Amino acid sequence: MRLPTALRGGVFVLLVVTLPMVGLQHWFLNLLVFVLMYATMSSAWNLVGGFAGYPSLGHAGFFGIGAYTIALIFKGHVLTSGYEPFLLLPVVGLVGALIGWPIALVSMRTRADVFAIVTITFLFVVQTLAFNLHGLTGGSQGASLPIAPFPAATFELPFYYVMAALLVLTMGLTFATMRSKVGLSLLSIRADEDKARGVGVRTTGVKVLAFSVSVGITAMVGAVWAYYQSFIYPQFAIDPLVTIAIVLMTFLGGRGTLWGPVLGAVILESGQQLLTYQLGAVQLYLIVYALLFLVIILLLPRGILPTIEDRLRMRRRRRRADSSAAPPAGRTPLSQSDSAALFGGGGS
Amino acid sequence: MSDLLRVHDLTKIFGGVRAVDGASLSVQEGTITALIGPNGSGKTTLFNIVTGYLKADGGLVEFDGHDVTGSHPGKLYRQGLSRTFQQARIFPQLTVLENLVVAGGYGWRQLFTSRVGRRDRERAAALLEEFRLTDISDLLASELSYGQRKLLEFAAVLMSNPRLVLLDEPTAGVNPVLIETMERHIRERNAAGITFLIVEHDMTFVMRLCDPVIVLDAGKPIFAGEPALVQNNPLVLDAYLGS
Repeated sequence: MRLPTALRGGVFVLLVVTLPMVGLQHWFLNLLVFVLMYATMSSAWNLVGGFAGYPSLGHAGFFGIGAYTIALIFKGHVLTSGYEPFLLLPVVGLVGALIGWPIALVSMRTRADVFAIVTITFLFVVQTLAFNLHGLTGGSQGASLPIAPFPAATFELPFYYVMAALLVLTMGLTFATMRSKVGLSLLSIRADEDKARGVGVRTTGVKVLAFSVSVGITAMVGAVWAYYQSFIYPQFAIDPLVTIAIVLMTFLGGRGTLWGPVLGAVILESGQQLLTYQLGAVQLYLIVYALLFLVIILLLPRGILPTIEDRLRMRRRRRRADSSAAPPAGRTPLSQSDSAALFGGGGS
Repeated sequence: MSDLLRVHDLTKIFGGVRAVDGASLSVQEGTITALIGPNGSGKTTLFNIVTGYLKADGGLVEFDGHDVTGSHPGKLYRQGLSRTFQQARIFPQLTVLENLVVAGGYGWRQLFTSRVGRRDRERAAALLEEFRLTDISDLLASELSYGQRKLLEFAAVLMSNPRLVLLDEPTAGVNPVLIETMERHIRERNAAGITFLIVEHDMTFVMRLCDPVIVLDAGKPIFAGEPALVQNNPLVLDAYLGS
């Protein structure tokens, strides 16, 4: 059973749009805002970490850049409608992408584990800057943003819908990537970058593009988050745990898939928030994170969705094989293509 | 006939080892040239330098009359110089068809077009047919046998309509039937105008297919000429068997 992607997307958007209309409580809407936030960031991370196979640990740095950018733009401003920061999100995205471009050009000369280390170093550089550039960021005393003048009864709703819009945008970009030669190029880079380079794939351009788009989106998410919080500190705006969370969510749901990161974010973020509400303990979820990571690597190394997809494919193939094994003179129970694959008989 | 590839005084040093030591050789257009030599004689290093994967420490590489020393492999590929690898390198997570499409040498604008469009299919169809991969074109490349991977890699580098193809041990680890298939494909493509430079250890394959043969020893060519003359050349015998 596979619904066409357009239909699945439509159902998903409808669900996200109508969900707040059923009269949810504030704490639950707040939770949903965070689920959407992580779903968007995981989807964005997936463009680089999933498709291109470059496990960036620096994304939270760009989240912080977005947060501080919006804080700087609206420093000392009084908002009238409250929608002004949302209208400036494209600017924040552009700032993130423009900073990301040279960072990618340099860091993407390295790969895999070294790339992860280089990018997490970037995260700490940004954090240190946020702590020390008092004039810009207010240092460890934090920076304040204008308080959103939304009515208390529906305070979360604008943030919810803006996060939802960012998620739809990111998933749209992911879908377009998967359907275009950009995605094909990224996958070839993940599989064997040197070979890809040697068959004319524009490796540097494509991976730097993916990185810039990815961190641009992450910066926009950071800006919305900062506005939502209305007060930001360096240790929360640039938090390695945010990086860990989005990587883990993408791994859990399935790297290089459209829905995997979203699924991972829904499971992990709602789980974490609910646990925090119930236990009151703030950092206990970290232990769960660690355990979960071990379980994923052990049981579902490719994530939930790819594993399910594999099973379905195997079953489909078996069924097709069963049906083609019938009358024609009791031939081999393998389909023609399967036997060709097994015996390498392409040229006989 | 003119020289399509000319290598002049090429040198590559790894630590204290002169892997390629002032090698000069040329490949004439329209030939199937073999590059043979004992293990460690610098064949693959030479390949890597010519195709832009390694930087030379000295010397020149000329392709089609232009100096291409130190060019980016992708650029060389788009100019018509393709290669395959010793260990068939394909993209396992892509389908057979996608493996061909991704090697199409696309420009920036085409990147934002459909992943596998109608024109890509048309372009790949003839190759799939020629290499008898049509039936399995939607299979993931990871599901292919090793021999088929070699065929696929070969087919893929033909997507860019190359003028010179460098094959690194096309028959290594492949069953005899597939070796014949490979030989047939090379002959057909050669007849259609592609020049080949082949590194190979299977001597009967080389003797059947290639002319001329270049023998490399200790990073230098020690012989270049007809295959029939190779077997009796004292220098070559010395290089392979020791004196």
